[in-house]
Amino acid sequence: MSVERRPEERALDRLILELREQPAPDLDWQRLETRLMREPRAEAANPARSWFSRLRLPAAGLVAVAAVATVVVARQQAPAPAKLTAQVSRAPLNGDQLALGTRLTAGNHALVVDHPGRARWTLEPHATALVSEGGEFLTVKLESGALSATVVPNPKPETFAVEVGGARVAVHGTAFRVERVAERVQVEVSEGTVAVEPSGTRSAPAFLLRRDSRGNFALDGRTGSVEGNASAVISENGAQSRREVTNVSPSANAHPHAAAPALSAPPASPVPAPRALPLQPSISDIEAGVSSALAVLNRCFREQTRSTGIRVSASTGLTLSVAPDGTIQSVTFAPPLAPAVEDCAVKGLRSLTFTHSVEGVTFTRLLEVER
Amino acid sequence: MTDLTDLVERCKAGDDLAFREVFRNHRADVARLALRMTGRPGDLEDLVQDVFLQVYRSIKDFRGQSRFSTWLYRVTVNVVLMQRRAARSRPILQEASDDSFGADTRELPDEKLARARRVAAFYRLLERLSDKKRAVFVLHELEGLSPSEVAKVVGAPVLTVRTRLFYARRELLELLRDEPALEFVARELREEPSAEPLTEREST
Repeated sequence: MSVERRPEERALDRLILELREQPAPDLDWQRLETRLMREPRAEAANPARSWFSRLRLPAAGLVAVAAVATVVVARQQAPAPAKLTAQVSRAPLNGDQLALGTRLTAGNHALVVDHPGRARWTLEPHATALVSEGGEFLTVKLESGALSATVVPNPKPETFAVEVGGARVAVHGTAFRVERVAERVQVEVSEGTVAVEPSGTRSAPAFLLRRDSRGNFALDGRTGSVEGNASAVISENGAQSRREVTNVSPSANAHPHAAAPALSAPPASPVPAPRALPLQPSISDIEAGVSSALAVLNRCFREQTRSTGIRVSASTGLTLSVAPDGTIQSVTFAPPLAPAVEDCAVKGLRSLTFTHSVEGVTFTRLLEVER
Repeated sequence: MTDLTDLVERCKAGDDLAFREVFRNHRADVARLALRMTGRPGDLEDLVQDVFLQVYRSIKDFRGQSRFSTWLYRVTVNVVLMQRRAARSRPILQEASDDSFGADTRELPDEKLARARRVAAFYRLLERLSDKKRAVFVLHELEGLSPSEVAKVVGAPVLTVRTRLFYARRELLELLRDEPALEFVARELREEPSAEPLTEREST
């Protein structure tokens, strides 16, 4: 049947015809065949190419965190995560070239995004994520599915974060996995430390998950339950915990430093204070405490690390939470230090006391130590 | 057992010679479809290689429930779409000879040059369709697959394929007005008597 068409339709038909008549592309078939016949055999011989090995070079350059990075990277290489590598079929994307607002969706295969020397994240099959912050502090919004990340330790905390709904999962350490399941966020930490907090409140982590721990959180990041090796709940201002439900159950095979007192009990309810007490410890009191903390940290770093004849330094963000009675309520290092150094430091810091106050205080300082 | 079935079975058994044969028999079809899906001759060689690597990996999953060509189309479309998603997140490198569609046009006669420009412009229009619409449009309008075959390739109901085709064509008609390189095609056609329409196909 012949149909009278508008000029635009006839133009489109003509273009379609022209395209159909285009000759088949002429490629260098011989070269392509040679490449192709070489590739499958190479792939069959080496099916699980370890992409972790690429982290070795950037890690070597991180003198500032040498003590931490070496330990962490070595641990990553041993238990190669088969569930990740088995599904990765393509070369990673260069994350540093992704424009802000780029939305990535993995198809039937995982999609790997590499920020050279800093982080590598894997979007699991059929998951979708949006790059929402670039530069020094990377943030990825996970819209559906699951995402795993391996982050090279950095002196600056929270250089990589995943946001799911209103919850923010910020990296203090190295390897973790986040999955959005309906209206919940599941987080598993296999290396280092991860903070889960409401988005937009970067300074005050609500939950800290450490190695071999996992948690299940509401999409706003304010409530949830955690279990495993270690966890912590830190209030926003030292006076009121965000936590509504927390189920901390240390695992039977906890890591030796699982009991490190980076964990804290929920802060006690504010007690009516005598009028003479200040609202919070004074600045001078806090600064004196920081000096003492630095001395403790330096001592532990010297005692607990081996002397190699090479100058080694480490930077970490120390967060101290001080109770109204002046005692230390929680101690957090982000990024974490070597377990032995951290255990030693936590013991020393626990003995610090501050002046009594109505609310207590939580503060963070970036400290550098060296030997 | 047909030759193709035999080849596929040998591929599944890891016979490299059979795989080479499959490559030689189907490489032109794969390259043509990949080019029509992307409009980028510069990426074509890598794409074709990726498609056949994927064929090599997953041919064991081909159960013969559809024609091999349909399965190969499906693999090609999936690889192209994956590549496009990845490419969208990278800086776009404008191909130097974009207007001429990869050809050196310096020595082309006027008509061939004009044609090459129209083809390049049309690819620009196709590029502006969503992945789903572009896929069904290319498979149906350019590759000549019926909507039911397209449905098998893209894994969507036939009705959905028809709907996508309808909207793809409508969008292209609108886009056509804004494409300077194609504007004269429409103008020329306005001035000449009604041309013979394309053969009616199953879809429209």
